[in-house]
Amino acid sequence: MTGGDVPDWTQGEPRLVVIRCTRCGNRWYLPREHCPVCGNRKTRRAPAAGGGLCVAVTRLHVTTAGSTGADGPLGLALVELDEGPLVMGRVHDEALSPGDRARVAFCADPSGEQGQRALVPSFGREESA
Amino acid sequence: MTAHLTGVGLTAFGRQPGPDSLGWQCLAAELALTDAAIEPGEVDAVITGYSTVAGHLMPANLFAERFGLRPTTAFGMSVGGATGLAMLAQAVRLVESGAAGHVLVVAGENRASGQSRDTSTAVLAQVGHADHEVPLGGTVPAYYALMASRYLWTHGLRRDALAEIPVQMRNHASRKPGAQFQKPISVTDVLESRPVAEPLHLLDCCPVSDGGAAVVVSRSATSDRSLTIAGTGQAHCHQHLTALDPGNTGAAHAAHRALAEAGLTWEDIDVYGIYDSFSITVALLVEELGLTPAGRAGAYARAGAFETDGRYPMNTHGGLLSYGHCGVGGGMAHVAEVAAQLRHERGASQVGSCRSGYVHADGGVLSAHVGVVLRQGDGR
Repeated sequence: MTGGDVPDWTQGEPRLVVIRCTRCGNRWYLPREHCPVCGNRKTRRAPAAGGGLCVAVTRLHVTTAGSTGADGPLGLALVELDEGPLVMGRVHDEALSPGDRARVAFCADPSGEQGQRALVPSFGREESA
Repeated sequence: MTAHLTGVGLTAFGRQPGPDSLGWQCLAAELALTDAAIEPGEVDAVITGYSTVAGHLMPANLFAERFGLRPTTAFGMSVGGATGLAMLAQAVRLVESGAAGHVLVVAGENRASGQSRDTSTAVLAQVGHADHEVPLGGTVPAYYALMASRYLWTHGLRRDALAEIPVQMRNHASRKPGAQFQKPISVTDVLESRPVAEPLHLLDCCPVSDGGAAVVVSRSATSDRSLTIAGTGQAHCHQHLTALDPGNTGAAHAAHRALAEAGLTWEDIDVYGIYDSFSITVALLVEELGLTPAGRAGAYARAGAFETDGRYPMNTHGGLLSYGHCGVGGGMAHVAEVAAQLRHERGASQVGSCRSGYVHADGGVLSAHVGVVLRQGDGR
């Protein structure tokens, strides 16, 4: 299963996409050829509404480019989308903490010389989004 | 047919410039063959772990030529931090099937001095999803930090709940020659070390090391120091963090398969080697294995449960956190230590009356799990 007719942020569209098994209804986020629960090959892609529960936040002081130094730490979060799957994104809201309602926004990757991957998902508290 | 662990070789770990990856592999292999009291010509099969520094397509052939071996079976393996135990499990199958009499399992890497820290971080970060995770800028410490954040939130804990684990590992390492870090540390030292990926700080994270480890797996015991590999079990449920099922990562499946093959339960296990790439790794593993209640691994560490005289003597060499982590060899050091305990060769750090041990490793982000049960004697 690739992009199909509902491209997501990895293809340059400001959108998270959830994949659903047409047989058992299992839902997931990362591309898979078969449903990991029932083995079915038929899936349907649908845009996620963008809200969910923040379950984890890290502030990263050392990246693959070395110490973040004056730029400040890089925030990453895990959010359980209301549709079910877990997604990883950046954080644009310093107060975002596990247990908060979160909402996605899409921002240009500041380190982004990556062309069509210039957009990355980023989370903040729902009320501040 | 029973497979035996007949030889163990473990070098010192640390920042030790000089040997390249092959050099470390040869040093460890020499120690293991000497320990098993066999000649190089008796080795039928060679299994070699990947080196991120060397990055060779055919690591086992490369090693065999350099060491001076002409085995009938040779292959490399690559399942991240679980590679050492996965190689051990495949060695057991080669022996059980009759395909080999002696299998040499070897790993070594100049990970600390052979590449820059940034290169090492970037290479390891590729366990993240190439399209959906890596572009966000995460690293392996970041992925484990996210698991730690979720863990602390789920159980209503603060960061200090995990800090006792590295303190215990350092305490073990302070009594172990060859450990990269031996100076004792306190909970305050852990909490006040610089942040790497919050909530994980520097002392929550294992170092990067140079070193090597090797074992010999044989059809028959070669001495009364030989051990029985009583059971192995694996589980491979996901690769990426966003596909991980919390509390059900595969760790318990792997352990239960290994214990069932050995015909043992946790009650029978006297000494443990549990993968400890980060403080959170130990907590998640021991809790999923059912050794401690959920959210209580740190409290158990504080109460001395992982001490040599505790309920679950664990990583008595100091683990990845303090003995060090040279890649595949890092996870094999746990095997070397549990074997030394079962041979009653650990002197002041000896776990009393230990007869059975359990070793567990994970690769990726709790992605690949392998458990191994070792027992004293010939297994009968």
